[in-house]
Amino acid sequence: MGREVSESCIDSLLTEIVSSYSTRFYANKPELAARTIEAIGYQVGHQLSERYTMDRPRFSDHLEAIKFICKDFWSELFKKQIDNLKTNHRGTFVLQDNRFRWLSRVSNPILDEASAKDPEALAQNKAAQAETSAAQATSMLLYFPCGIIRGALSNLGIPCAVSADISNLPTCSFVVRIKA
Amino acid sequence: MSVCVAVVGHQNNPLYIQSFTDADDALKLHHIVHCSLDVIDERVNNPKKSGPLLNETFLGLLYPADNYKVFGYLTNTKVKFILVTTDVDVRDASVRNFFRRFHSAYVDAVSNPFHVPGKKITSKTFAGRVSAIVSSFGSSTTTD
Repeated sequence: MGREVSESCIDSLLTEIVSSYSTRFYANKPELAARTIEAIGYQVGHQLSERYTMDRPRFSDHLEAIKFICKDFWSELFKKQIDNLKTNHRGTFVLQDNRFRWLSRVSNPILDEASAKDPEALAQNKAAQAETSAAQATSMLLYFPCGIIRGALSNLGIPCAVSADISNLPTCSFVVRIKA
Repeated sequence: MSVCVAVVGHQNNPLYIQSFTDADDALKLHHIVHCSLDVIDERVNNPKKSGPLLNETFLGLLYPADNYKVFGYLTNTKVKFILVTTDVDVRDASVRNFFRRFHSAYVDAVSNPFHVPGKKITSKTFAGRVSAIVSSFGSSTTTD
């Protein structure tokens, strides 16, 4: 029986990690903050993959390992599986989660109210600004899960690069590019 | 009685090696462990068996050397566990059981946030658990 952790604690911890790194430690270097958060995720994924692959036969190819990430690994982390897996059969995989837990409490940047009150040009400018900063803040939250995926896969012998893509919340897709 | 256990990383770098003999033959045992790495490579790259056994983590008896028997285990993360024993008739099930317990000890050791991946395991807790597992393995094979 695995041990469990409180979901709200994890949510708060993640939010706090992101805000500490991006506003306190590396306030002027968002790039460095992102890399550091990703590295934390990498270590987590590295260690988790060791534990979760304990009782299973070795994977024979990349697809099997990716399937393991989508099904068992994701279930252990989020109690659900990846909803959609796409691949171009040339080393790129897109893992889509329609309701990504760590984004389920992030609000959708709906700024209709603000634009109705303010003069048009100003409002548009403000709204655009708010939207980009909101998107930026959300994307900071995704470096950690990206690192987890990368850490797990590289521990399984698959070096890769992982990026995340948010089109409409809380849907989220992770793009895994395997290095040849 | 098992005389030596080793953990070898995915680049064949030693992570942990411990012998359990009174005699001064550590070097010989290390040599046996070293030789077994080639056997593991061969097993993995040219699998003879088929079906569900193909990718099993437990590799079985690698080779008999002098009066030792060498068993291997390869995890999903390409970490090798090697067991050298002097027991003549070792049951497969007890070796499997040994490796399973050894694996969970290993997983707990590398999950330590202060452990650096790819570096030697220096944890005293791990060493303690390993010697407990080794001694229980020895007793279980002699009693039944």
